[in-house]
Amino acid sequence: MKKENYISIETFCKRHGVGESFVYSMYEYEILQVENKPDKRMLHVEELPLLEKMVRLHNELDINPEGIQAIHHLLGQVENLQEEVAALKRKLDVLK
Amino acid sequence: MDFIDYYKVLGVDKKASTEEIKKAYRKLARKYHPDLNPNDVEAEKNFKRVNEANEVLSDPEKRKKYDEYGKDWQHAEEFEKAKRARSQQSGQGDFGGYTYSSGGSAQDFSDFFESMFGGRSAGFGGRGQRVRFRGQDYNAELKLSLMDVYTTQKQTLTVNGKNIRLTIPAGIEDGQTIKISGHGGPGVEGGPAGDLYITFSIVNNTSFRRDGPNLYKTVEVPLVKAVLGGEIQVETLTGKVKLKVAPGTDNGAQVKLKGKGFPKYKKEGQFGDLYLTYQVKVPKNLTTEQKELFEALEKTNLK
Repeated sequence: MKKENYISIETFCKRHGVGESFVYSMYEYEILQVENKPDKRMLHVEELPLLEKMVRLHNELDINPEGIQAIHHLLGQVENLQEEVAALKRKLDVLK
Repeated sequence: MDFIDYYKVLGVDKKASTEEIKKAYRKLARKYHPDLNPNDVEAEKNFKRVNEANEVLSDPEKRKKYDEYGKDWQHAEEFEKAKRARSQQSGQGDFGGYTYSSGGSAQDFSDFFESMFGGRSAGFGGRGQRVRFRGQDYNAELKLSLMDVYTTQKQTLTVNGKNIRLTIPAGIEDGQTIKISGHGGPGVEGGPAGDLYITFSIVNNTSFRRDGPNLYKTVEVPLVKAVLGGEIQVETLTGKVKLKVAPGTDNGAQVKLKGKGFPKYKKEGQFGDLYLTYQVKVPKNLTTEQKELFEALEKTNLK
């Protein structure tokens, strides 16, 4: 992996105005992965869209990390169900 | 352009305190926030309305102006200012027949807002500019016909002046989205760029119905051939083929033509099947001779 694919947790938090503890709680709740590099703990850029979504929920809607974990779980279910509905709709179209 | 009653949008009284407005906004934002309502266009629209109402009512200056002018907001001067602001701040664009919109569209405000307050501010929930690090994701829709995606295609798109070479694998589904990493908006202060998401809209203008790699079609079989058996010619996606119809074929019988379906997505050289449903065609407008023959058949007690 190239070095630029990682961002330090410190940089991310400074930029978004959140405490590092928020990122670690997301890691603890298994919402995202944290990479242990020799000098500091880093985030892979692939994790950023998800983490930024969690920061928005935290900052804009005052949702605490426990609530975010529940939302993350339910959103996963919603997305799976949406995919299933879309696939079923396609099948229905075939029968029409 | 219609007047928007921001108090009604937030469901608060005209004399509502800042605290009451904040509370009402938070309550509605939790209901309609795009992050909590994936792929819900209606919720996104509602969120924009709520956000705009909050932008005005949570800012004492804007609220004062809104209360003062009320329904008489349409002053020529403001209108001109808004027009100028709009032309400078267009957030959407076209590229080579494709349209895209930025992911952060929740900050678009109505024409009413722009005409009254001149342009849009990126404020969010009264907390000032939304902080960004990673660039915005872009969403684009690409319309192709079913036959376009029968073979793998290479296309070049131009997004924000940059050319992107895109390989569209054969067999892509209608509504399927592919991600092109790093081709969204630029990052801020060294942040990574966002991604470009292309959703495919596949227009099926063929006579075949498609379900994944399998194709379906109903074909007519003349009555005599259904009874006695014979040969018919049917269209497949790649040309005509001759088919043997077994004697005594029922109406609604289905046959499978293996490998005559659609390419399997990302499985080069593999194809789905074509399912044909036979529809026995009962002849109309018989000649006198044909009618007599059917009558003769009837006398044989054929059932």
